Amino acid sequence: MDFSFTEEQEMLRKTARDFLEAECPKSLVREMVEDEKGYSPKLWRQMAELGWMGLVFPNEYGGTDGSFLDLVVLLEEMGRACLPGPFFSTVVLGGLTILKAGNEQQKREFLPKLINGDIVLTLALTEPQAKYNPASITVKAVADGNDHVINGTKLFVPDAHIADYMVCVARTKDEAVLEDGITLFLIDAKSPGISYTLLKTIAGDKQCEVVFDKVEIPRENMLGELHQGWAHMEKILQKAAVARCAEMIGGAQQVVEMTADYVKQRVQFGQPVGSFQAVQHHCANMLIDTEGAKYITYEAAWMLSQEMPCNMQVAMAKAWVSDAYRRVTALGHQVIGGVAQIEDHDMPLYSKRAKAAELAFGDADFHAEIVAQELGL
Amino acid sequence: MDFRFSKEEEEFRKELGEFLDKGLTEEIARQNWEDKGLGPEGREFARKLGAKGWLGLGWPKEYGGQGGSPMYEFILVTELARRGAHVPNDIARLMGGPTILRHGSEELKKEFLPRIARGEIEFALGYTEPQAGSDLAALEIRAVEDGDDYIMNGQKMFNTECHYADYHWLAARTDPDAPRHRGISLFVVDMNSPGITIRPLWTMSGERTNEVFYDNVRVPKRRMVGEKNRGFYYIITALNFERLTVYTIERLHPILNSLIQYAKETQYNGRPLAENPIIRRKLAQMAIDFEVGRMIEYRAYWMICQGLTPDYESGIAKVFSTELQQRLMNVGMQILGHYGQLQEGSKWAPLKGRIEREYRASFLTTLAAGSSEIIRNIIATRGLELPRV
Repeated sequence: MDFSFTEEQEMLRKTARDFLEAECPKSLVREMVEDEKGYSPKLWRQMAELGWMGLVFPNEYGGTDGSFLDLVVLLEEMGRACLPGPFFSTVVLGGLTILKAGNEQQKREFLPKLINGDIVLTLALTEPQAKYNPASITVKAVADGNDHVINGTKLFVPDAHIADYMVCVARTKDEAVLEDGITLFLIDAKSPGISYTLLKTIAGDKQCEVVFDKVEIPRENMLGELHQGWAHMEKILQKAAVARCAEMIGGAQQVVEMTADYVKQRVQFGQPVGSFQAVQHHCANMLIDTEGAKYITYEAAWMLSQEMPCNMQVAMAKAWVSDAYRRVTALGHQVIGGVAQIEDHDMPLYSKRAKAAELAFGDADFHAEIVAQELGL
Repeated sequence: MDFRFSKEEEEFRKELGEFLDKGLTEEIARQNWEDKGLGPEGREFARKLGAKGWLGLGWPKEYGGQGGSPMYEFILVTELARRGAHVPNDIARLMGGPTILRHGSEELKKEFLPRIARGEIEFALGYTEPQAGSDLAALEIRAVEDGDDYIMNGQKMFNTECHYADYHWLAARTDPDAPRHRGISLFVVDMNSPGITIRPLWTMSGERTNEVFYDNVRVPKRRMVGEKNRGFYYIITALNFERLTVYTIERLHPILNSLIQYAKETQYNGRPLAENPIIRRKLAQMAIDFEVGRMIEYRAYWMICQGLTPDYESGIAKVFSTELQQRLMNVGMQILGHYGQLQEGSKWAPLKGRIEREYRASFLTTLAAGSSEIIRNIIATRGLELPRV
């Protein structure tokens, strides 16, 4: 049993933390909430030069052949820094899907560009009925000869408005078993018939409504086999959920540190408020929640890295971390007090992101039901 | 990062598991958990484990141990817990023994460690007093030097297992003039010493604990553990170990499993309880919390295997484990509904009344071995370096 990271992983963590401390200050984070694109092209380029986009992709496409666990280390630092932008959408949602479901030609066409930082990708999956299961997929892709025509509305699609390409999850056949009959398409985001509306979100992250109106998709842009897309999606959604957990545990650790630092300095009634038991117990609860969140995330991430069956552990991780990060930020607010309410304090950046992250890729209730099924209930 | 056990560890687990499945009867397990005392079956079982070398897995061979990694000790603790039992002489095995090993004289090590490893003797903790609970340093029982001995006078409270243990693991005040934390020493006292009186206290869950009175009890100086007046610090180390092992989250595994099984098998108005969304949600949350707590606990085990001493980390594990225990017992009682109140032996009692009994027992564990409040103080001051008052 080994709870430690490798030297290389520790080096990656340190480099990422130092880099983001310098290049992703909170002023940039706030600026990007107002900015329509939501990311800094300069920072994007620097990240590509550091090899971050290529971390989990094979050497043959220009990547560095890292593991999913390596990516989790990097994402933890991104979450700690509240890094804005389409890294997650491009690498996790788009890139890992192409890597998994794409044919050799598609991988050779898209992955090198992704790794070079030349393209932004995303995944158009959720819909107004907004769930992460096949029953909710109603956007239809109707066959027209060898090609398909897509109609319908996707909702809560991250970074769609700036994406170059989108993986669209569409229903190609109505089946009694809802998993059968779903196909993945890699769509040029500038295709005629697609319109975008940017949503205003609590965390200021860029999520969109995407409307497909008779959008034509040539056959060669199908990812994987016809009607067999859902199997790929299940795995991608597991990785996305745990990758989101990684960002959340990074944020949670930053919140715990920020709160502990504050209560050592803030004086009331002639002593630091950190010496009062009520404050100490809130801080202890924040640490307990964060420790639990870390280890369940690492367990799920390691199992995914090892390609072990881990439906249970992935669901447990996202369920726990969804609630734990929310609790940690709520306690952070309570402990730091009035000043943390003010918009220009760092705490609201974390508490708003905690809420968005809680919902992404399934909240606690969603994943608890998966756990119930895995328990045989 | 790797969350698997080694091949050798898994082989040990398998061998141990087969032995326990055959030899750990419900009768023996009950003797464990009811703390009424180890009967002849329980004592024989302890000796069998000792004969296999399984009670000294991490100890040096010269003292009767196997010289193995501490992880084997944790496998023993957790495999017993998953079968509703604990190490038969767990106080001697998990607290007394390691402290003697680390701090005791050569004479003390030779006198006690081999017998503990053979499963022949048990200790009872002697910390708490009527005026010294969370504030352990306030203890008053007095040890006065007299030639080669100490003469002890005073009273202990909530000292469990005294009525059947062979030795009392006693904290006593040896220097009343020193600052409180630095005037306490640890002793190993023969439980049948003249002058010791034990009176039972029965808990609300049917367990026996005790008041213990020391009236001019003579204890040889050679029975002091380690240095005079350093006892409080040895106790802290022993407590960190107790928090991690005696309160292992794996104790909850059989209870959670029995509730899941119950929900699958029991019908209410023609439908299995397992189809009730509220029950599904609650049981899933218990399983989630269990796995999170298990990872927290194993991380502390891993620290010990690395030669590190977990400190607030043991506290986090114990707070989590015992508070989950209370949530689990609440969920269990909610699932059983009206039937939850029926005690073992009653007509209609489900699951042999086990949930009802465990519910009553669950009020204690957030208090013993460091209350949740004290441990949260420790987590804050030692884990986050927040200032003390």
